[in-house]
Amino acid sequence: MANIAAQRIKREFKEVIRSEEVAKCAIKVELVDNNYTELKGEIAGPPDTPYEGGNFVLEIKVPETYPFNPPKVRFITKIWHPNISSVTGAICLDILKDQWAAAMTLRTVLLSLQALLAAAEPDDPQDAVVARQYKENLEMFKLTARHWTNAYAGGPSVNPECDDKIKRLVDMGIEEHQARVALSSYNWDLERATEQLFS
Amino acid sequence: MLQLLSSKKHIIENILRIYIKTSGNTLCIDIDPKYDIRQIKNIVAPKIGLEPDELKVIFAGKELADNIVIEDCDLGEQSILHVVKVKEKVPKKINDYGMKPLCEILDDSMFSPISESRNNSISVEANDVAHILNNDTDANITSNQQVLVKKIHFYVYCPTCKGLKQGKLRVRCNFCKSGAFTVHSDPQNWTHVLENKQITGTCENDTQFCEDILQNREPTFAEFYFKCSEHISLGENDQAVPLYLIRPNLKQIQCLACLDISYDAVFVFPCQNDHVMCLDCFKQYCMSKLTERQFWQHPEYGYTLACPNGCADSFIKEIHHFRLLDDQNYDRYHRFATEEFVLQSGGLLCPQPGCGMGILADTDCKRITCQGCKYVFCRLCLQGYHIGECGPIENDDLNNQSTSCESELSCNNGNNGEIASRTTIKIMTKPCPSCKTPTERDGGCMHMICTRAGCKFHWCWVCQTEWTTECMGDHWFG
Repeated sequence: MANIAAQRIKREFKEVIRSEEVAKCAIKVELVDNNYTELKGEIAGPPDTPYEGGNFVLEIKVPETYPFNPPKVRFITKIWHPNISSVTGAICLDILKDQWAAAMTLRTVLLSLQALLAAAEPDDPQDAVVARQYKENLEMFKLTARHWTNAYAGGPSVNPECDDKIKRLVDMGIEEHQARVALSSYNWDLERATEQLFS
Repeated sequence: MLQLLSSKKHIIENILRIYIKTSGNTLCIDIDPKYDIRQIKNIVAPKIGLEPDELKVIFAGKELADNIVIEDCDLGEQSILHVVKVKEKVPKKINDYGMKPLCEILDDSMFSPISESRNNSISVEANDVAHILNNDTDANITSNQQVLVKKIHFYVYCPTCKGLKQGKLRVRCNFCKSGAFTVHSDPQNWTHVLENKQITGTCENDTQFCEDILQNREPTFAEFYFKCSEHISLGENDQAVPLYLIRPNLKQIQCLACLDISYDAVFVFPCQNDHVMCLDCFKQYCMSKLTERQFWQHPEYGYTLACPNGCADSFIKEIHHFRLLDDQNYDRYHRFATEEFVLQSGGLLCPQPGCGMGILADTDCKRITCQGCKYVFCRLCLQGYHIGECGPIENDDLNNQSTSCESELSCNNGNNGEIASRTTIKIMTKPCPSCKTPTERDGGCMHMICTRAGCKFHWCWVCQTEWTTECMGDHWFG
């Protein structure tokens, strides 16, 4: 069984390498092991989104039954998105579940994930906190997502106010990521975030 | 009575033994495959006291013209040719039917998808390929005049050889089952071949007999069937099942799974896009879906699969295609199909490890006794039978577990592995509220969808009832 999966992934790997998206630096794949069961993907944050300028690394695990079952994909780069868990990087995307079709490839998966970054589905969330913020306070969501892109994905947009609030929590002995999660979850309300962290 | 005849006039280099079936007799003759039909008539006529011109030679639904050469007829060793007496002695016009080979007359319809739309596009290529490849061995169908495309085969499941084999098409009277039958028109697609009463014809066996019985209420229809070309025919009942979704890869289409182009036969899914898979990948597809219990119990077709690309209405109708699985997996296929059938018929499977017997019991009866292993269990929770309400399974306390373990002990003679698995299943899983399939949650939200293909019930991991908007609002993520 592993044979088809490996053979298929080899070909798809080549397809991605040769694709025009790679030429435009929009997507990328690398091998993690030699038997094509695990790969590292990378997608560029789409333009005109809070993820613009960031590079997001993905863990791609190819099941033995590939391509009859979808690859298992999660974000390694931390990201603030309604359909991606801010804790585990798990992705809620139909094509990675029951809407998978055997003709889909690594390339189409990466492009679909890029599309997901550009168009979130807050009604089918993976992260309830992010989804609520997205629906109730879109500007706050964008600000947070941009900040996360800057902090974890090398995005260019620096928000001194956010950095400052995080620094104040870090100074109180809170780990940086934990501080960022708390502030992000409470719409950057320092008081409430502090309360939650010390309760 | 069989009579053995040998031709004394010719030295036969390459002998083919065939049977000649006449209205009252069967003759066995050894012929040279290079003989034409005229020579056959010359041999047969004196044996049955007729003139060669009074004979009609019928094979696979067609009257063979005098100039047809036997070796072009896909006539295997011990095949049967039907010889009948011409009723009215009309002078024969050989060119009546035109001299085109059947590959042109028939448009290679056999090899086109069932969807009519693609018939034409494929037939053109099939002809091209046929012309290129016409040096190869086996032919498929015989035509009225000449014989057709070689190299292109029908694929069958042969119950004698127990496997996927090349097959050959034969025709007989739908009513009296005689092979002395000529069709009025050629089948144009697989539907014409596979379904009953599609193509009319004339039964030449005992025309009066068929006509009298049917009293002209309906025409006589052709019945198409297949034989395995890879073993010597064991007689008229030695048939094979056409695996019509397995076809030569004439268009050289890439396999949907491994992306290679197979030059052998491929499996063509019955979907709008005619997705193609090489046979090895098809087997892997079946095996992985079998293991995951993702076959679907189709009300009409049985336990089957659809196109792996999720195409609409693409279930495989002829489940003999799953004969491609090896024996062990085919047995598994059978067992799973039976289990799924029992479940969908409102039945139960004995929950006892190693038993699993299908039980159809009255729906209002809660106390079920397995006929196989005599285990007595509760219909609702599939645990050992108890009086009163079923306990919530996830809260099964140790006492409860130890009692159920004891009962298993007595049944299984202390099979510790099974008890351990069962305990693990009990601790790690919750049953689907609809079909009781033990389900493990390995992350994500509380919205569960039953993985059993026949169930797909949406349920809440917390409430263990159907998934509702309340669950969504209250504890979607726990």
